[in-house]
Amino acid sequence: MMPNEKILSAQIRRRTLLGSMAAVGASAGLSTLGVSKAFAQEPEKPSEIIVRAWGGSWVDSLKAGVSDSFTKMTGIAVRHDLTEDNEIQPKIWAAVAQKRTPPIHINWDTTTNATKSALRGVTEDLSDLPNLKNTTDLAKPVGLDGYPIVNTYGYVYVLAYRPSAFPNGAPKSWKDLLDPKLKGRIALYNDGIGFHFPAQVAGGGKLEDIPANMQPAWDFIAKIKEQQPLLGEDPDFTTWFQKGEIDAACTISTNAREARKNGIELAWVVPEEGAKFDTDGLWIPKGLPENELYWAKQYINHALTKEAQQVWLDGLGLPGVVPGLTPPADLVGDPSYPTTEEDFKHLIRISSKVQVENESQWFAKFKEIMQG
Amino acid sequence: MRHSRVAYPLTWRVMDVFERLAAAVWPSSFQRGLPYLMLLPAVVLVGLLVLGLIQIGDSSLRTLDTSTFMMSENYTLANYQRALSEKFFATVAGRSLMGAVIVTVITLIFAFPYAYLMVRTPSSALRKFLLVALFLPFFIGQVVRAYGWLIILGNQGMVNEALGLVGVPPMRLLYNYPAVLFGLVQYMLPFAVLMLAPALTAIPAELESAASSLGAGWVRTFRHIVLPLARPGLVGAGLVVVTLSLTDFAIPAILGGGSQDFIANAIYDQFFRTSDQGLGATLSLLLVAVGSILVGVVFMLFGAGTLAMGDERK
Repeated sequence: MMPNEKILSAQIRRRTLLGSMAAVGASAGLSTLGVSKAFAQEPEKPSEIIVRAWGGSWVDSLKAGVSDSFTKMTGIAVRHDLTEDNEIQPKIWAAVAQKRTPPIHINWDTTTNATKSALRGVTEDLSDLPNLKNTTDLAKPVGLDGYPIVNTYGYVYVLAYRPSAFPNGAPKSWKDLLDPKLKGRIALYNDGIGFHFPAQVAGGGKLEDIPANMQPAWDFIAKIKEQQPLLGEDPDFTTWFQKGEIDAACTISTNAREARKNGIELAWVVPEEGAKFDTDGLWIPKGLPENELYWAKQYINHALTKEAQQVWLDGLGLPGVVPGLTPPADLVGDPSYPTTEEDFKHLIRISSKVQVENESQWFAKFKEIMQG
Repeated sequence: MRHSRVAYPLTWRVMDVFERLAAAVWPSSFQRGLPYLMLLPAVVLVGLLVLGLIQIGDSSLRTLDTSTFMMSENYTLANYQRALSEKFFATVAGRSLMGAVIVTVITLIFAFPYAYLMVRTPSSALRKFLLVALFLPFFIGQVVRAYGWLIILGNQGMVNEALGLVGVPPMRLLYNYPAVLFGLVQYMLPFAVLMLAPALTAIPAELESAASSLGAGWVRTFRHIVLPLARPGLVGAGLVVVTLSLTDFAIPAILGGGSQDFIANAIYDQFFRTSDQGLGATLSLLLVAVGSILVGVVFMLFGAGTLAMGDERK
C-alpha cells in the first residue's frame, strides 16, 4: 500500500504536469487565436462558454472543427445548447431588455435571424476580431454597420431528389416538382424559406421585382400546393427521405448530404431557375460579463481560422469565408459548394435587409397558401 | 411536585409550548379565516396568470416595427384587425374548432363503453387491466406517443407493411387532417374515461336492474336510465376534451405534416418564427376568448356536469 505522502506527491506531480501542458497548449492556441500580445492581460477564464447550435451533423461538425480545438487551446469547456434558433431569440431579447445575463455566450444563427437581433441592438460589435482580416467579403453582413454578426459560411437550398424516382434523369427545373407522380412525395420548409425566390423565377417573374411584386412566386407556390407537399424543418427532410415518405425536397444541401451519408440513395441539383444562396453566422448577445465577452470573442475568432473552418465545414459540406479551403472530396465541382464566379451565377442572393423587412409577410403568405 | 413532573411528561410540555405558539400566531378567533388561508396559494397562482394575461393584452395592442424589431410605443388595434380579417387565421381557427368538436364527439363515444365496463365489471382482473391500460399512456408523453404513430402509420410503418402482405400498395396514412384527429382522440381518451368513471359509479346498479325487471331492454335502459344520469360525466369529460383539443400544439405539428396547423401552431409561429409578439399575443387572447365562450355556452345549455359542485350539479 502506498503511503499517503506518496499518493499526494504523485497527485501533485500529475496535476503539475497537466497544468504545464495546459499552459503550453493555451499559449500555443492563443497565439493562433491572435491574442498572444494580450496574454499578459488575459481576463479570467470562465469554466465554460455556451454556444447555441443546431443538432445532428450540424453540432457534430461544430464540435469537431471549432469547439474541441478551442477547449484544447484555452482549457475552457464548450457547452452546446440545442435550443432552436427561433426559440432562443426571444429569450435573448428578453434578457437584454431586462438587463439580465443572456442564456448563451454565442449564437450560431441564420444571417437573416441574426440581422433582426442586430437591428434590435442586442448584438456585440465584433469588428475587432483579428482573424477578420483573413476572411472574404462573405464574412461581412450586408447593410449593417461594423460586424454585429460574422458570417461563417454560405449554403444553397438545392433540389434534392431520389434518383430512382426520376428514371429519365435528374430534374432540371423546379417545375419538375409539378409532375403528377410526385403528388404527396415532395417537401418544403414549413415557412417556405429557400423556395420563395426560385418560385418567383419558376412562376415567370423576375428577381428584380422582389419584394414589390411576388405574385409569380405565390402563383407557382399555389400550384405546388396542389401536389400536397410535406412541410417541415431540417431534421424532417433527412427522416422523410430515410423513411421513404418523399422523393424530392427543397432543402439545404447539408441535410441531403447527411441522408446520403446514412446510406440513402440521394442526389441534388441547382435547377435552371437557380437556387437560393444564403449565409449563417455567429454573434454574441449584449449583457455578458467582460471576461466572458472576451472569451466568447476568442471563440468566434478561432472559428475564423483556416484550420477550424476546414474541419467544421468539411462536416457540413459548405463553403467557408477563409480563402484556400479544400472542398470535401464528394463535393468537388458540386453546385451546392460554390467557389467560382461561374458557380455563383446560378445562385440567387437577396440582401439580408430586404429579407428581414419582408420575411414575416412572405412566411404569412406561404402559410396562407399551404394551410388553405 | 416531583410526582406531577413524572405524570406530565416532557413531550406533552413541548406540545403545550407549540400549542401556545400556535394560539399566539393564529388565535381561535381567526379560525373562520382558515379556509381562505388555504385558498391563498391558488389565488396567488391565478393572480399570476391574470398578470400574465394583462401583459399579453398590452403586447396585443402593439405592432412590430421591422426596421428595429421593437414593439411600437403607441397602442393600436391593428393586430386584432389582421387576426380577424386575414383568411389564414380564419382557416386555422375553423380547423381547430371543427377538430375540437369532432374529437370530443368521437372520444366520448369511445370513452363511454370503456368507462362503463371498467365501473360495472364484476371481474376485478378485468377492472385492473382496464385501469392499467388507462393509466399507461399518462406515463408516455404526448410527443412520444405522436412519434409512435409516425412509426406505426408511416409509409414503411407496421400498418402499411401489413397491408403490403395482402397486396395493397403503401398509402399515405399520415400528414393529413384525419391523422391529426386520430392522434388527438387517442391522446384524449384517458382524460375522458377518467372524467366519466365517477359519474357512472354514482349511478346505482339497482336502477338498471329495476328497469330490466320492468321489461326494459338494454337499449331502453341505456337511453332512459344510464345516459341521463351520466350526463354530468359526459359534460365534464366533453369540456375537458374540447378545451384541450382546441389548444393542442404537438399533435397537429407532428401528425399534420406542416399543413394542418391549429391555432396554437399559428401562435407559435408569430412568437418564434416571425418575432411578432404583438400578433402572437392577439391570437392567444382570441383563443382564450373563443375557448371561454365555448365553455360558457356548454355551461348554459347543459350545466357544468361533474365540474360543478353542490346543489348546482344536476
